[in-house]
Amino acid sequence: MSWFHTLAIALATITLAYFAALNVVYLAFTAIAWRDLNRHLRARGHAPDDEIFSSPVTPPVSVLVPAYNEEPTIVESVRSLLGLRYPLHEVIVVNDGSSDATLGRLRESFDLVPVRKALRVLLPTAPIRGVYVSRRHHHLWVVDKENGGKADALNAAVNTSRYPYVLAIDADAILEEDSLLRVVRPVVAEPDVVVATGGIVRIANGCRIDHGRVYDVRLPRSRLATLQVLEYFRAFLIGRVGWSRMNALLIISGAFGLFRRSLVETVGGYSNDTVGEDIELVVRLHRHLRERGERYRIEFVPDPVCWTEAPETMGQLSRQRRRWHRGLGETLWRHRGVAANRRYGTLGWAAVPYFLLFEFLGPLVEVLGVPAILLWWLAGGLSGVFLAGFLVVAILLGVLLSLAALTLEEHSFRRHRDGREIARLIGFSFVENVGYRQIVAFWRFLGFFDLVRGRRDWGEMRRKGFSTMPEAPLPPA
Amino acid sequence: MLEALGIGALVLAVLSVLFLVALVLRRTSLARAERRRNELEARLRPLALALVDGDEVEERELSAEERAILAEAIGRLSRSVSGEARERIGEYFAGTEAYTAEVGALRDHRAWRRATAAYRLGDMGCPEAVPAILRRLDDRDPDARAAAARSLGRLAAPEAAEPLVHTLVSGTVPRAIAFRALLDIGPGTLPVLRTLVHDPDQDVRASAIELLGWLGDASDDSAVIEGVGDPAAEVRARAAGALGRLASADGADVLTRALDDRIYFVRLHAARALGQVGEHAAIPALVRQAREDRFEAARAAAEALARIDPDALLAAADEPGAGPHLHEAADLLRV
Repeated sequence: MSWFHTLAIALATITLAYFAALNVVYLAFTAIAWRDLNRHLRARGHAPDDEIFSSPVTPPVSVLVPAYNEEPTIVESVRSLLGLRYPLHEVIVVNDGSSDATLGRLRESFDLVPVRKALRVLLPTAPIRGVYVSRRHHHLWVVDKENGGKADALNAAVNTSRYPYVLAIDADAILEEDSLLRVVRPVVAEPDVVVATGGIVRIANGCRIDHGRVYDVRLPRSRLATLQVLEYFRAFLIGRVGWSRMNALLIISGAFGLFRRSLVETVGGYSNDTVGEDIELVVRLHRHLRERGERYRIEFVPDPVCWTEAPETMGQLSRQRRRWHRGLGETLWRHRGVAANRRYGTLGWAAVPYFLLFEFLGPLVEVLGVPAILLWWLAGGLSGVFLAGFLVVAILLGVLLSLAALTLEEHSFRRHRDGREIARLIGFSFVENVGYRQIVAFWRFLGFFDLVRGRRDWGEMRRKGFSTMPEAPLPPA
Repeated sequence: MLEALGIGALVLAVLSVLFLVALVLRRTSLARAERRRNELEARLRPLALALVDGDEVEERELSAEERAILAEAIGRLSRSVSGEARERIGEYFAGTEAYTAEVGALRDHRAWRRATAAYRLGDMGCPEAVPAILRRLDDRDPDARAAAARSLGRLAAPEAAEPLVHTLVSGTVPRAIAFRALLDIGPGTLPVLRTLVHDPDQDVRASAIELLGWLGDASDDSAVIEGVGDPAAEVRARAAGALGRLASADGADVLTRALDDRIYFVRLHAARALGQVGEHAAIPALVRQAREDRFEAARAAAEALARIDPDALLAAADEPGAGPHLHEAADLLRV
């Protein structure tokens, strides 16, 4: 047997084993998610949201919005944030040296005036050029600073913030009116224990949005964005719910995450030398608290919604996925001491090994393994029937997981009211497993090389802007 | 191996079909239930409003489903009404099947059902449910305890004041919810709070004094002023805050002295309270604090100056070495 043949067999065997293990994990998480979401649904019957809203001791929150070249969406986003139903909050937008008219749009829309703001300097940042406050909304602040990246902008926002909790959100995101109230719920319930929470991120492309509010939930017209809707269902309704249950949630999306400010300051704020500053911060918080033996929880809350714009072109999506993968790799490398280390509990023996083996190395196995299986088959080591059977099982598993996530969504939140949209998503559950997933795996594979090459840039994401999204006509009065 | 793959494929295909069927059935049934519910709610809403308003209503036999939806609609209305309207809601529910079912459910083995029952009983407004709900404050499930606290507030049950203060202190009910419930009970809590301000437990004293600030009157000044001299810093800070809310002129001297407290958050609360009281004599001390103190305490002092005497703030901000907090407060004043 040639060395080439041996290598192909080894790769193919690893691929099959990887594939089986990954899907066992996914199925287990689906079961956990069903259980947890049911519990969550029952709790909606006695959720004390009105009491939290009207209580004078509900913790106030600073909403942090890092913005770099966000001219098309920034005004709508800020409007949605100003209208949040919450007893006491402030909105801090950080213009991170944008080269477009982000600051101008903000000044013009919210009547900003410069003020000499007292800033804490606990976290180092690029120089601040000026701070503005809105004449119309006294709880809206805009910090104008030199470009330093998203993490730097977030750190500047933390330095500017006034309240004990900070909510980091993306500048292209729109929060639902009650989202802040809901994401704060675990903190209100156990303020000494819960240090961070995150909500669900949904795709806004196709929805009807006006004045920073989503009025009609629709699927995107773009097929690429619709495929991401399903991906987000799987990631949030299955993955995050499962890891949160084990108190080993590694990712709180940078688009929508609440943190105890003092803890963020203690661990040194957001890290500037990674593109995965959201996941890196969460892992650092876990490490910090576990090393000190403190009782804590980092929770995912499935019902507060943050709407965001998804990439609609292959180029943009590829850049996003490569960046996410690079960010994951950077974080795992930096915190490699946690992997398989019992000192870190579920984080050490479950979450980090899972993310390392399946999320980070997964694309490597997929991209190299599938050709290896084909080679094995071509070399006559694998029967054609077996190969066909393997592919059918692989596709069916993917379909099953997507359908499970879709059923979970229907069972719980039912955001898409039009039955035809659900039919479309069912169709996409089949389609995405042939082609789309493989392309995404390839992009993530390229992200692996970006990491090895030491690439540091963010890549560019062009925003269409919410107001230019396709709009359904207003229903008759 | 091939056989295993075949079986695997078959199982997955069957599971996929099952999910698909579940999805379709769930969607269809929920859509139908929602339509039916909306129809019934629209039909019963005028009746619910009439009952709450105390209008004459035409007697007619309602089905069990209609009764349940009417009860829910009235329960929801009860969250936005008070006084006589709320009493009428209580009278409507007293002794009904819906009320009895919820009281029974307080002992259900499922935690979520106990929590839901405790929550609904608060909306039903029947004072006779108070003893049963009070027992749920010791429930092993945190949601049931929180729902019970919330409902005791809705029912404005003064007998719940002391247990609620203790749940507030022990953290067995979220602070925001227990606090809200105590405020909802209102002046009925005052006799208990006035006793608890002398409790040996400093956390109980702190909470009682803080609540006195929200609910008390001029007769509570002396107890709260005494709190500013408490050995426990947390009590001193909350007492300072309470004096500000009571806008007690008698407390101004004590608050000004508290600006020199060795604990910064006491100084912070004292400065804030002086702003609320409007104590001109404290201006020099506040200017000093705004220039020299720790970040939050300095900011509180500058904001207090803006409230007490805007001109003094602007003058202090123009002085050399005024510092960032006075500058910020002055700029905000101009805005």
